[in-house]
Parts: sequence; structure tokens; C-alpha cells
Amino acid sequence: MTDETPRTPPDPQADGAMAVSARDVTKRYGAGGAAVDALRGVSVDFPRGQFAAVMGPSGSGKSTLMNVLAGLDRPTSGTVTIDGTEITGLKDKPLTLLRREKVGFVFQFFNLLPMLTAEENLELPLAIAGRKVDPEWERSLVDAVGLSDRRRHRPAELSGGEQQRVALARGLISRPAVLFADEPTGNLDSSTSGEMLRLLRRSVDEYGQTIVMVTHDGRAAAFADRVLFLRDGLIVEDHGHLDADEIYDVVKSLESA
Amino acid sequence: MIRLVLRGLAARKLRSALTSIAIVLGVAMVAGTFLLTDQINTAFDDIFRTGNERVDVVVSRATEFRSFEDELPPMPEDVIDRVAAVDGVAIADGEIDAIGQLVVDGELIESQGAPALVFSNVDPRLNPSEAIEGRLPENPGEVAVIEDTADRADVTAGTPGVRLATATGTQPVEIVGVFRLGDVSSIGGATVVLTTFGDAQRWFDREGQTSRVVAAAEEGVSAAQLADRVRAALPDGYRVETGRENADRQSEEIVGDISGFLTPALLAFAGVALFVGAFIIFNTFSITVAQRVREFGMVRTLGATRGQVLRGVVGEALVIGVVASLVGLGAGVGIAALIQALFDAAGFGLPAAPIELRPRTVILALLVGILVTLVAAVGPALRATRVAPIAAVQEGASMPPGRLTRYTPYIAAVLVVIGVIVFLYGVFSGLGATEALQSMGLGAVLVFLGVGMLSRFLVRPLARAIGAPIEAAAGTTGRIARANATRNPARTAATAAALMIGVGLVTFVAIFAAGLKSSFTGAIDRVIQGDLILQTGNFGTFPAGAGETIREVPEVAAVQLLRFPEVRTQPGGSQFLNTIEPATAPEVFDFDWQGDGSDALFARLRTDGALIETNLARSSGLRTGDTFTVTTNRGNRSTFTVLGEYRDPVLFTGITVSDAAADALEIPSEPSVGVVRFEPGADPEAAQEAVADRIAAEFPVVEVRSNAEFKEEFEGQIDQILALLYALLAISLVISLFGIVNALVLAIYERTREIGMLRAIGTTRGQMRAMVGYESVITAVIGGVLGIAIGVLFAWALTRSLSEQGIVFDLPWLTLVVFLLLAVVAGIVAALLPARRAARLDPLEALHHE
Repeated sequence: MTDETPRTPPDPQADGAMAVSARDVTKRYGAGGAAVDALRGVSVDFPRGQFAAVMGPSGSGKSTLMNVLAGLDRPTSGTVTIDGTEITGLKDKPLTLLRREKVGFVFQFFNLLPMLTAEENLELPLAIAGRKVDPEWERSLVDAVGLSDRRRHRPAELSGGEQQRVALARGLISRPAVLFADEPTGNLDSSTSGEMLRLLRRSVDEYGQTIVMVTHDGRAAAFADRVLFLRDGLIVEDHGHLDADEIYDVVKSLESA
Repeated sequence: MIRLVLRGLAARKLRSALTSIAIVLGVAMVAGTFLLTDQINTAFDDIFRTGNERVDVVVSRATEFRSFEDELPPMPEDVIDRVAAVDGVAIADGEIDAIGQLVVDGELIESQGAPALVFSNVDPRLNPSEAIEGRLPENPGEVAVIEDTADRADVTAGTPGVRLATATGTQPVEIVGVFRLGDVSSIGGATVVLTTFGDAQRWFDREGQTSRVVAAAEEGVSAAQLADRVRAALPDGYRVETGRENADRQSEEIVGDISGFLTPALLAFAGVALFVGAFIIFNTFSITVAQRVREFGMVRTLGATRGQVLRGVVGEALVIGVVASLVGLGAGVGIAALIQALFDAAGFGLPAAPIELRPRTVILALLVGILVTLVAAVGPALRATRVAPIAAVQEGASMPPGRLTRYTPYIAAVLVVIGVIVFLYGVFSGLGATEALQSMGLGAVLVFLGVGMLSRFLVRPLARAIGAPIEAAAGTTGRIARANATRNPARTAATAAALMIGVGLVTFVAIFAAGLKSSFTGAIDRVIQGDLILQTGNFGTFPAGAGETIREVPEVAAVQLLRFPEVRTQPGGSQFLNTIEPATAPEVFDFDWQGDGSDALFARLRTDGALIETNLARSSGLRTGDTFTVTTNRGNRSTFTVLGEYRDPVLFTGITVSDAAADALEIPSEPSVGVVRFEPGADPEAAQEAVADRIAAEFPVVEVRSNAEFKEEFEGQIDQILALLYALLAISLVISLFGIVNALVLAIYERTREIGMLRAIGTTRGQMRAMVGYESVITAVIGGVLGIAIGVLFAWALTRSLSEQGIVFDLPWLTLVVFLLLAVVAGIVAALLPARRAARLDPLEALHHE
């Protein structure tokens, strides 16, 4: 299972099957001598229904990659396609509308609006888009994340795990083409972390949700179908499912390389 | 510590600047007030001293009290010779002071909120006037005009077609020169015309009389010595002053007239601005202190004492206070010019000397600005000291609640109650005007403070009500905006309270003005049964001859020339003495008789009967059949018997007597108002035209209006004053707008990560801007609603207390709706910059904001 060489990228013709694709993406911060290359030519495809974990040491470019893929940051060169739409070069407004339609987020710090109830928070993406909530879908999501009796509570009245489950439901409510999770367990203790990861796993298995998760936690990555490793702005390893020990080995091998 | 403070301020430039503006504007108002009134004082000192430059002694007729309509009563011409005969007098001359306007090519040259002065020329040895063009008048029919008037009327020596409106009709004159009074080229908005002594006597009914006698001493005789000698040579009934004394007294009197109301009025507006500013500073410091909890915790862990934290925050306030006050002092020059321009625009010309910055102005402005800033910041600073060192390491550490927080509602309620009591005491206890206003002002301050503190409990329900339509129209952005507005009610309350004060006062003023208008126009409708009303442009008097001229118009049945000089009655004190012509009074006026009074009383007035108004009857205890004495400014006395009582608290206040009685008291003949009644069946428009035509030729100063036009004119004048008050209150409103801007900017800074999240999940920049805009509008409208409510209540209390004076409570609904809409607009305007900042935030950076 531990391929030494990165997988050859899938046929670009098959983009229709891809939730997110990146082609030769570079990202350079600053200019001249002080310039930093965060991404140095990354091409990667995430097929629909895949749960991918992106790992790498800090400064490897994994967060930058996620931000670029999610349309939060613009690549210096290369293209990014979300659900068949090339987002590179889109102006702020169409890009925002595309995020609204196609992208879901789960953040490390939950980022719930403190003055809204759990339910209002989870409906937020639809509300902002002016779209109707599918009550059945909402109910099944709320049930799935186990918040049926906490809908009226405000974030301050919820535990960290509960808050992150609200955030997950919020990320899924609009049935996005892809859900980006940025260190979703970074602020949770180990038992609530496991809960959260199982929920992510379930959303892939049950709803066919595509997930790209950035994490530095091997145990979290072990829930994924695919584990990518970045170093110095390049994808250096691209595996299928790995268990935690295998991930640990890869990480160690990368550190010593 | 100081370095840290300065660094901190520099790092928060926008916030510091926005906070400072509140103080800058308030201090600018204070400084501007003093600068302006000092300018006016100096200007008048200069004018009068220059006028008496070569004069050692001034003789005028002694008066019992000052009268605006009869400032310089005439005295016999032979006083000139008697003064000239006094040993040590080098030269004595008479001077006539009168009111008269230039008419150029048939057009009246109006003075601006100041008199149209006519002086007779005096001997060159006494005369400070110097011709800068042509010469001063020497022969009959010649006049000279002061430079400013010449410029405004666009005339010069030799300009043809010039007439002078006088008491005896318009006289053709020849302009022989343009002059300056020493180095004075203008006397405020007044027009100044110089005539010969003989012409002035003829034209202004002063045959054989003079207004003043001025004299110069011989070499070696001082002004004081000469004054003593002149005083000894003249009988009682004359006032003898040195030139300097006379100049200083005149200046003092007129400055007292102007500054006496101007200074406290402007300072009151400055006080309002500072009060609003204090709210904003308090709010800003509360917010920034709350945002810096971790910083305070950190410096505490590094060993800073509570005292040091306190000094740090207070130091910041001190720096802001000092800098803002200095800037405000500078801006005061602009404010002084602005106020002067405002008064000019409203038709009150004020003379101005060059700006002079007196130490008193500097000290007061700085003191007030710094003190207000410190007082407003001390509460938040004390709370900063209560941050424990542990806060440094707590994620989302928040401010410990203030010790007094739980007592806030009680303190606020007590403040409101005391405020209302003090306000009502001022309104109803019959204090003098100044004390009443002070009491009302203090009460209003307490009420505003209390409501400002209480309003945190009103923020949620008000925001819900105000937000409802926004949410209905805008959905989630509206919902989030409302939630944002209510997430920290105390903050929103303080922000809104600043606006509330301005809106409250504007509302109060608007309602009061509406009440004044209604009461006045109502009184005209009730009392005046004539068809036309005659008046001058600036509430001055006009020649009685105008009345005679109109009587010749065939359509005119009756003309009443109303004089209402101030007199003293015993008992009663200072009153207006209204004069009417008994024969036609029943058909021209409709008095609201009390008891068994009737129009038949008019015929019984003769020279010793008087009718008294209810308010005077009540305050003086005078009843029908009682007698009382009237003393005029000239010292004439008459005894009158009360024939009856009527109620008219607006037009005929005080006492009403016959023209004959007024003449017997030597009341000057010039009326202030004329009322004309047409013959039955006369075509009103044709008749009005006939009267206007007739009067325009001889007495162009008289304006002829139908009752409807007169009421409109009055309302227009009230509106003009109202506009002036609005403009002065606008400064407070602008300050409170900056308060909203400031609070929003700070809130957006706090919510950076939320904004990042919202943008990430699909909120467009437009939605982001709208969200901030809605929040701002909700905050502004809360302030607007509270302000309007308080303003209505205050106005209601005041108008109720003045109902005896005929003021009615008349809610100007449309105006109030406009105020509410303006609050919405204010909210939108205040949101412009913050909304832009929020929309411009890069979602990614925002998400990773600490």
C-alpha cells in the first residue's frame, strides 16, 4: 500500500467525475528575494465521494493547497476546477456564489455565530444563499450529528464537540460538491475527535460526500480513503487508505528523507 | 508607560481619530463661541470708541430704563448752546440719531438683522467720520453713506435716483460722499447714512430737538472735568458722560443684548456636543478595553500593577483629550466663522473684528475637552484594572463585569426620576427664564444619562421591532444584523444614546416651534379682524405717517397703528403697553373678554382707562376698577383705571390703552404693526394692491401683507430660527454619527473571524455591506426612536407649562416621520466606511485573524 512514487493523475478527460481538480498549481507569497513558494506545481484530483486527507509538516503548503482548492486563495499559476467549473480567474462575486453552491467548510475553531442558535447556524449557508431548507435533509443531518435536542441552543451553551458537530452539519446542509475540513479535530479532545471523524466518514459512506481534510493528526487521516503528503509545496506521497501506523511510518520516512 | 500609550494610540489610528472627533467638535464649539463673542465685543467696542474718539462729553436725555424703540429720546435743541456756554468747552454740537433706509432706483436697501441708522453730521472737530470718496454732507439734501452700505447698495458719490426713507416719506437726496468711521467701514449688518442736522430734524420729526449733544474740551481740561462742569450747568433729566464712558456703556448694552443670549445659547449647544462626545468616548473606551483584555492580562503577568494599568488607559484618554482639544481649539476658528455665516444666512448680521485668541478661551477649551475625555474614560479604565493576569492565557477571556453593573438599572431609574423632577421643576415652578432653562437643562442631562443607561434593556425589543421589516425584506443578512446589534446591548445602547440626545433635542425644538407657530397663527385668526397687516422687514417700527397715507385709500375703512413699547407698571413691573385707536377697535379686533367686559369698553378708554390681560391681572392682583401707574422710559407717568380684563397671551399681552393715552405719555408715534380693515364689499386683492402701491412710494419700509401672508411670513421666520437651531444641533448629530462609525469599526474588528467564515461559506461583499448597514440602521433608529420619545415628552411638559402664554402642544407628525427617516439615513451614512472595511476583508486572512 505504501507507494513510493505519487500516483499518476487520473485522465483529465474524466474531470466530470472529479469534485475538485488542481493542475500545476503554484502559490508564491511575496516577491524578489523574500518570496516564498508555498506550492510549487501541484496537480491533484479528488473524485466524487472520496474522503481525502492532506498531511504534511507545518510550512509544507497543505493549508495553502486547501485554501486554493476551496477558492479562498488564488493560485499564482495553474488552474483549479470545482465540480467542473474552473474557478481560477473568477471575480470575487462569482467565486463567492460558487463557494456558496459547491463548497462546504468545517474550520478548526468552529466559527459559529455566537448570537444565532445551533439551528440558525447550521442553516446559515442556505439562508445566505436565499435557498429553502430541505426539512427532511436537515432532520436527518441533525439526527446524524446527534443535536436533535440542542437545536435551540446558542454556541456558548454547547460543548466544543457539539459546536463542531453543528459546524459539520452547516458544512453539509447545502450538499456541497466538496467539503473542506481544516484541522476539524484540532480543537477537540480525543473522544470528541473520534466522534467527529466517524461523522465525516459516515457522510462519505452514506451520502457520498466528497471531503478534503487537512490534518496533522495521523489518527484523523486514518479515517480517509486516501492520504496525501505534502512537503515543500509538492505532493510527495499519494496513498489510498492507510492506518495510523502506516501514516506514522510515512511521516517518519519523510522527516528523515 | 507613556511610550507604550503613544505606541498603542499610533497602532490604532483610525479608532483614536474617530474617538477624537467627538472631542474636537465639542471643544471647537466652546472655543468658537468665545472667539465669536469676543470678536463681536471687540467690534462694538471699536465702533463706539471710534465714534466718540474726538468727543469728550456726551449729553443725552436721562431715561428710567432702556427701550429698544426709543433708545435716544429727543431733548430740546437749546441744550447745545447751554453746553457750548460751559467754561472749558471748545466746541459743542447736536446730533440726531434716527432710523431710515436708502432707496436706490425705487428699491429699498435693507439692513440685515440690524437697524438702518441715520446720523446727522457733526462739526469736523468732533467728527470721526472721514470721507474716503467725495465729502461729508454740508447742504440740505446731501448725504454720505458708510463704505459697507455704499458697497451693498452699489452707490457712490453722484449716483442718481437715490432717496432716503424718513418719518416724513421718502426724500430725494444727493450722495456727496462715502465715509468711514475712523477705520470702521461697516457696523454689522446695519446701513449707515449721514445727513445734515437740519435735514435730520425736518425728516425725522425732530424740529427744535436733538438726540445727543457732543462736546470737546479746551486744551488743559480733562474729559472728566468737563463732564462735571456740564453736569453742573444742566438741570436734572440729562445724562452727562465722558466720551469714553458713553462709548463703553453703549457697547456694553448692545453686547449684552447680543452676547447675553448668544453666549449661553452657543455654550449650551457646545455642552450638548460635549455631552454626546462623552457618551462616545465612554463607549469607545469600554469597547477597546474589552478588546484588550488579553493585553491587560499580559502586562499584569509581566508585573504591572493595577495602578499602572489604570494610568495606561487614563494616559491614553489624556493624550486623546489634549490632542483633540488642541485641534478643537484650532477648529474653533472655523466654527466661529461658520456660526457667523449661519447667522448671516438667517438674517442676523453681526459685526466682526479680527479673530483674537484670549487666554480664557484657550484655558477653558482645553480644560473642558480634557476633563470630559478623562471623566468619560475613567469608568472603562477602572474596569481594565480588574482584569486578572490569568486572562493573558485564556482563549476568549472576557471583561469581568463592573462592580456596579447589577445596580445599573436602579441607578438609571433614579437618575431618570430625578431628571424628570428637576426638568418639571424648571418648567412649572415659575422660575426666571435663565434659572428655568438651567433647571430644564440639568434635568434633561440626567434623563438622557438615565435613559442611556436603561436603554440596554430596550435594545432587544426595539431591535426586534425595527429589525422586523429589515428581516422580512433582507432575510438572513437582516437576521444576523439584528443579532449583531443585540449581542452586546450595553454597547448598542451607548452608541444609540449619543444619537438619542441630538434627536431628542431636535424633536423638542421642532415641537416647540410648531407650538409657537400654532399659537401665533391661532391668535391672529382669533383676534385680528382686519384684512391687511403692516410691518417692517425686521420687526422695527415705521413712521406713523404711513397710516395717514393709507387712510386716503378709498377701500380702507379703518387703520390701527399698534405701538407696544415696554413700560413699567405699579403694581406689575415690566409690561408691554399696547396702544389702539378706540373708535375702530371693535371692527378691527375681537377681544376675548373676561367677566362682563365687552367692546363697549373701548369707547371708555380715553386717556386714563386701561384694559388688562388675564396673566397680568393674575400676577399683579389688579381687578376691574383698580388703579395703577405707568412709567415710560422717558420718565413720564400716568395713572390708569382698569376698565376690564381680556385674555390674549400672544398678541396683546400686558395692558392696552388708547392712542391718546400713549401720546399723553409721550410714547413715540412710530408703530410696530398696522392693521387695516377694508370697506365692506371691497375687492381684497385690488384693495391690497391699492394700499401697497400707495405706501411703496412714500414708506417703502412698510411691508403690506394679507393676514394669510403675514402668518406665512411669521412661520417662515420661525422656520429660519429653527433652521439655525437645527444647524447648531447638527454638530451633535454629526458627533453621534462618528460614534456609530466608531462602534461599528470596533465591532467589525472583533468579528473579523466571523466575517471570514461568512465570506467563506458564500456571503457576497454586497451582503456583507448590507449586514453592516442594517446593523447601523437598527442602532440609529433605536437612538432616533428614544430621542423622539424623550423630545416629545419634554416638549409636551414645556408646552403644557406655557399654555397660559398661549403655546399649544401641536405634534408635527410629518416632521417626526422625517426625523425617523433621517435616522435611517444617518445609519446608512455611518455604515459606509465600516461596511466597506467589512466587505473588503480577505476571507482567508479574516479566518486566521487572532
